[in-house]
Amino acid sequence: MSYSASGGAATERQTRVPAWAFYGVLFGILGALSILAWGPIGVSGTHPRFVGEILELVAPSYAGSNEYVQKVGHLFSKGETFVVIGLLFGGFLGARLNREKAPACEVIHPSEKTPARRYRDAFIGGFLIVFGARIAGGCTSGHIISGITQLSVSGFIFAVGVFATGIFTAKTLKGRHQATGA
Amino acid sequence: MTPIYATLVGIAMGFFIQRVRASSPGMIARNLRLENLSVIKFMALTMAVGMILVYTLSLFIPQLLHFDIKPTYVLGVLLGGLVFGVGFGVGGYCPGTSVVGMGEGRKDAVVAILGGIVGAFVFTVVYSVLIAPLVKVMDFGKITLADVTHQSPFVVAIVVGALFLVVIKLLPTEVQKSR
Repeated sequence: MSYSASGGAATERQTRVPAWAFYGVLFGILGALSILAWGPIGVSGTHPRFVGEILELVAPSYAGSNEYVQKVGHLFSKGETFVVIGLLFGGFLGARLNREKAPACEVIHPSEKTPARRYRDAFIGGFLIVFGARIAGGCTSGHIISGITQLSVSGFIFAVGVFATGIFTAKTLKGRHQATGA
Repeated sequence: MTPIYATLVGIAMGFFIQRVRASSPGMIARNLRLENLSVIKFMALTMAVGMILVYTLSLFIPQLLHFDIKPTYVLGVLLGGLVFGVGFGVGGYCPGTSVVGMGEGRKDAVVAILGGIVGAFVFTVVYSVLIAPLVKVMDFGKITLADVTHQSPFVVAIVVGALFLVVIKLLPTEVQKSR
């Protein structure tokens, strides 16, 4: 990979295409190819399918009677599951081929003063994104990227909700810290 | 063939996400605080290019495209988005980027995935009682902007795509230096 833009402000001043623009175009083409190959990209349905498979193993009668387990279907019957497996390798390759080392635990809010607090935020965040995505029927990939690409009204509504509370939450978590002077 | 295509698409998608640093929860937090807009512009450009491409293709080879429009049940979609946004702001991950982050070796991404699995478990348990009634409220079915405006999907895609491109061009990438 000769292309190794840092993605920061420094690339913007250069005449070369910034990383977000270069990969944005490629990702748009990839999304279209995926609709040609089998269907739109999605991710968050994988979590309940994984839970469903575990329930089938440990509590088969409950799994059989649970409406949602039956609704989401089996893990390996969906293309989505393979997208998720691919994401894992894609992330690994992106970092490895460009000799980047991601921090194991990245502090993102001023209040995350200890690793335990960062892990608490990651857990709560992870819980809410999947719970919210399942209420709506899709996440950033399925609803926003794939949904809006297909001009789906649901994608636009979901995006409005996500950015309304997303921006508010991120700004509040920084602002509250500054207000207390900690 | 789908598993092979889907795995390859996932690898490419994970690579792109890693390269634009969207798998960094700190970068997501900076975008949500509107200090840096690179990931938001990346997403908008992806959608603009994607919609113009697929609806151009649909003029020539509609039978080869696997469109799959999600239903617009307004209350549930909006409520889900609002809950998602809080989680996005607190943790800095979305379901896809947490998997990419795990591939990069981020331990907080693994914790976010575990949180997501617990979230999916709780959701599965409460679905019949709490969620199933909700998704029936104001359900307009699988509608697109083209259906709502009674225009050709191709024309709507060109107009919306062009609008996205203009906004991307006008918005700065680095709004303010943080820290």
